[in-house]
Amino acid sequence: MTIYKPELARINKIEKLTKTETFFDIELLSGKGLGHQPGQFVEVSIFGIGEAPISVSSAPSDLPTFQLCVRAIGNVTNALCSKKPGDKVGIRGPFGKGFELEYFKGKDILFVAGGLGLAPLRSLIWSVLNSRKDYGKVYILYGARRPQELLFREELKNWEERKDIEYHVTVDVWEENWQGHVGVITTLFPYIKFDLMKTQAVVVGPPIMYRFVIRELKNRRLPDENIWVSLERKMKCGLGKCGHCQINNIYVCQDGPVFNYKQIKDLPEAI
Amino acid sequence: MKNFVVGKGDFLDLIDRTVEDGKDVVAPVRQENQANFRRIKSTKEILWGGPQTVIPPKAFLFPQEEELVEYEVDGEIRIKATVEAKPVVLLGIHPCDINGTALLGKVFAEKNLDENYLKKREFVTIIGVECLIPCSPESFCYRKESILPWEGFDFFLTDMQDNFFVEVGSKKGESLILGVAKEATQSDVEKLKKIRRERDNLFNEKQRELKPKLGDLPKQLRENYDSPMWDERGARCFNCGSCNMVCPTCYCFDVRDCMELNLRQGNRSRFWDGCLLTDFTRVASGEIFREERGARLRHRTNRKDWYLFEKWGKSFCTGCGRCGKACLTKIVDPLDIENELWERKGQK
Repeated sequence: MTIYKPELARINKIEKLTKTETFFDIELLSGKGLGHQPGQFVEVSIFGIGEAPISVSSAPSDLPTFQLCVRAIGNVTNALCSKKPGDKVGIRGPFGKGFELEYFKGKDILFVAGGLGLAPLRSLIWSVLNSRKDYGKVYILYGARRPQELLFREELKNWEERKDIEYHVTVDVWEENWQGHVGVITTLFPYIKFDLMKTQAVVVGPPIMYRFVIRELKNRRLPDENIWVSLERKMKCGLGKCGHCQINNIYVCQDGPVFNYKQIKDLPEAI
Repeated sequence: MKNFVVGKGDFLDLIDRTVEDGKDVVAPVRQENQANFRRIKSTKEILWGGPQTVIPPKAFLFPQEEELVEYEVDGEIRIKATVEAKPVVLLGIHPCDINGTALLGKVFAEKNLDENYLKKREFVTIIGVECLIPCSPESFCYRKESILPWEGFDFFLTDMQDNFFVEVGSKKGESLILGVAKEATQSDVEKLKKIRRERDNLFNEKQRELKPKLGDLPKQLRENYDSPMWDERGARCFNCGSCNMVCPTCYCFDVRDCMELNLRQGNRSRFWDGCLLTDFTRVASGEIFREERGARLRHRTNRKDWYLFEKWGKSFCTGCGRCGKACLTKIVDPLDIENELWERKGQK
């Protein structure tokens, strides 16, 4: 056993969420749970193709299974998305630093998810919703490019109906039959009012989104240390060796991918 | 550890016997007009006091291509971790490279142990040799306090004309040399000191000066993060990655899968990668997180003389001069960079 040897895992269930995103329910053959923290990631192997870092999309639980939401965009993810239930893949991890649930307890939480950013954020959202009474107010803002690109639609419906959270969704581009809000994600901010002292904002989305959302939060005077982000980078090893994910002296795979904004705001290459 | 003295003939006989016994001995040899490490058949092949080898000895501990995992996909999937290591004697290693290897040892042994490296290291015997004249116009080891090894050698030779002075760095080294060497006397030690005084003077005179103080490099780089120098130099970068490949402390790697023609057996291997290459930070969506050439040059320099320097207390540039020599447009030499930043500050 070395740090580079993956464990075998079986794909239990596959569900196509959109044209490009697929949802996987996976279980290690050893039967051991993954034991992850929300926000952590795994390296998924397709033997003969390679490995890719993928955020875990499910909340930690007692179940032996965990879930991934994967966009078919590179060699590994395209191969992964063509797998069938029962097929095996390799897993290394979980890696990195995720969200410390204890820290968020008792606080109001504002989730801001852009596009595929909902995949990693979902692990934290459900961790919070699963023990809802441990947290203060919960806001979820979610934006996708087009209505047909919205992920986890059943769950979105649930969030919309729940009385114990405030949920807003938007799309950048209107399409026939879309009755909801249209506009980039920052256009949802006027709908919510949050308590600056009690709120932790957790922002996950494409690189460009961070700049606009963080500016919006700063305009409202939310302190830096109340803002959390998860950063995407190229990662080969997941263990702080291969060097690809380094931002100045920080290794995203070890020191992140989850960062407090205060920790990275002065790193010129981070956001 | 004790010090010894060994006759040159006796030492070479010892190595020749080792080669005859079938052990792998690797040493610098002349290839065309350059030096390169190669497995030797006789000590006559060794190039003593030559220029720095094109590729540093890291290639024997962290090869350009190294298998990490092999697998068989045949209905079931079987995965086996690969750890390859066999005894090798690395002979004639210059202090800059001994130190570079010691630094690699630190990073591969940090937290998540990299057995692929560490196992190889365990099997390698490092016999260093002191440089008494600068090996090339590009080197600046004296300026990086890397003229002598800090750690990480089994024994270290200094040429004393008829003899080698032998500093022992490990039990393995001591047991190797014990049979042919005698303990160094006070007069041997005095002679060594004199050689080193003269060597210091020579290096001080011949090697290019480092204008800022060595210990100030992290601070200087921090203060010059936004210097226009990075883009000026970066504009001349060909993104060839040569500086990364020839560096004794560059250890970034890519990982790739390769299948046999039968599409059943395959392996996953790592390959040297370089932070000066355009695609180094490219993710599947096409986003490149360090797009500017100047930013990539800055990242490499900062890694050597700031990030890793601060973390480990030693500069990750040992002054071997290889990158400066390999760089096609002469932009990468860390000593040049540090001096330019220092001079520009003076002009402000």
